[in-house]
Amino acid sequence: MALAELTISAGEAALLNAFPPTEAGDAARAQIAADGLPNRRVEAFKWTDLRAALADGIPESDGSAGLIPACLQDALVLDFAPDGFGLEGEKDLGLIIETEDSLELEGAGPLATMAAGFAPRAVVLRVTQSQSRPVVLRRHPGAPMRVRLELDAGARLTLIDTGLATAGLSTGLLEIEIGSGAELVRYSLQNGDTQAIDLTHTSVDVADTGRYQAIALMFGGKLARAETHVTLAGEGASCLIHGAYLLSGHTHADMTTKVVHASPNGQTRELFKGAVQDRARGVFQGKILVERAAQKTDARQNHHALMLSEGAEIDAKPELEIYADDVQCAHGNTIGALDDQALFYMRQRGIPEAQAKSLLVEAFVTDVFDAIEHEGVREWFSELARTWLEASSS
Amino acid sequence: MAQKSLKDPLMLNINNLQVEVGGTPIIKGLTLQVPAGQVHAIMGPNGAGKSTLSYALTGRDGYEVVGGTATLNGEDLLDLAPEERAAKGLFLSFQYPLEIPGVPTLTFLRTALNAQRKARGEGEISVPDFMKLSRDVAKKLGVTPEMMKRPLNVGFSGGEKKRMEIYQMALLDPRFMILDETDSGLDIDALKVVSEGVNALRGPDKGMLVITHYQRLLDHIKPDRVHVLAGGRIVDSGGPELALALEADGYDRYKDAA
Repeated sequence: MALAELTISAGEAALLNAFPPTEAGDAARAQIAADGLPNRRVEAFKWTDLRAALADGIPESDGSAGLIPACLQDALVLDFAPDGFGLEGEKDLGLIIETEDSLELEGAGPLATMAAGFAPRAVVLRVTQSQSRPVVLRRHPGAPMRVRLELDAGARLTLIDTGLATAGLSTGLLEIEIGSGAELVRYSLQNGDTQAIDLTHTSVDVADTGRYQAIALMFGGKLARAETHVTLAGEGASCLIHGAYLLSGHTHADMTTKVVHASPNGQTRELFKGAVQDRARGVFQGKILVERAAQKTDARQNHHALMLSEGAEIDAKPELEIYADDVQCAHGNTIGALDDQALFYMRQRGIPEAQAKSLLVEAFVTDVFDAIEHEGVREWFSELARTWLEASSS
Repeated sequence: MAQKSLKDPLMLNINNLQVEVGGTPIIKGLTLQVPAGQVHAIMGPNGAGKSTLSYALTGRDGYEVVGGTATLNGEDLLDLAPEERAAKGLFLSFQYPLEIPGVPTLTFLRTALNAQRKARGEGEISVPDFMKLSRDVAKKLGVTPEMMKRPLNVGFSGGEKKRMEIYQMALLDPRFMILDETDSGLDIDALKVVSEGVNALRGPDKGMLVITHYQRLLDHIKPDRVHVLAGGRIVDSGGPELALALEADGYDRYKDAA
């Protein structure tokens, strides 16, 4: 009896009761009963201890789903609330929306299992032709989201997903299939508070010459983790994954990515930047795996972070695993403080220290947003970063 | 002793200044006065403490003033933060200007100008006024619109960086200017452009301290007084002819003076 042998924490007990009686809910229950919640003794979670974060039970949900910014007024908004799913806005031709049972998802790790378990149903978005109207996935506090997205050959979609709960446990699971020559452009925003636990898992499968392009901005929470697993399955498939994390107070954010190159001529571009201060903790885990068949792979990964206070922490684990012999792969990882010389130079010109720091940090993270093609979203993200900088440097 | 009158004829007044870097004394009792309207040159061998003097006056961390006083127009400088000193009108043209990636030159300059104005209780300059000002000044110094759009000093040649220093100086219109080895890395044409820019900023209510290793710069920026800094002290002072003598004889005769 696994249950009897395991010491069950308050959080684990609460979770066991919280999963709905679906197939995926049963699978999640069984996983937690057998292994408990992922914790620091599990390699993939060594810096992101979910058991500790949920030790006192599930925090009560609070906060709002956030307003849709003016630049996305034309978007189709899918709302995921604790009690169900809603639609707002106009839908164009070539977008089919259905729901299906939330089935068990194997092999994607414990977060995916949990997120699948919480979702009463999965929303299926099928894109048969390119969409000019963006789609917004808006996760409400304490809500489980599960979305399966299929892009048919040559189709293009811009997707924005947000999780802005200030408290509670919110989960998201996205399974994405990008067809031949199709392209998904995705912008993700997470903003929490010290009572918010936000867990998302994204699995992406990209067919030949298809492209996955994702830019994320995270402000963390009590514990926030965004996992992305991309498989470049077809020849010439590519992905661009950018992320910025800006953390202060006692927040925690984790960006964990794994990209598998399974076919020749694939391309990966990863750029992650972080700035962490006070007692906050930033985690970056990035793995690029190039299989033997994936000749002529061109993969680059960069993670650079700034520690703005003594008590802050940044943990980084960049990994390249290469089995093909004709590839170009490079990665760079730096963690440092702000450049004292630059700071003095700016102050000598009359710029007060706090403002000088804020300008330097903004300049440091801003190239993560350079890849944002949607002008409104780029300005939105930049403005959010600026607001954080002003608040954190005062 | 600091004199409170703004009409203090001594604009920069340094008295028995002692500065340590990492616990090592570098400036060992330096006294120097620069009256309003004058340009003084400080010359000296490498390691004499020339750059340390400029950093101590502008308040860089790690340059610890352990004794003496320094005032600008009668106001104590040494207790002020670097940005407060800048707002009082103190400007340092760096020997090695920093590259500031990601910050466009114009954004940087407008931020600096407005921060100084705010510190002095003045209103912000409007964007059109700033654009006009920045263009007018740029034209005189051969700073191209292309340079102003780029991140500050990023990818600039040594000469471009020095021109950009003088451009910033002209735009911020400081009262007292310290030029630290402004001639290093400049070819003769760039030296002329930079010198003309500097000379245009001379005036009866301005003061300047020109720090240089070579006399060459002083052919273009004529000093009223020349001081020799060696071993952390001023060991000789004189008129412009002193610089010529130094050029001919070198610093050897000051070896033991410190």
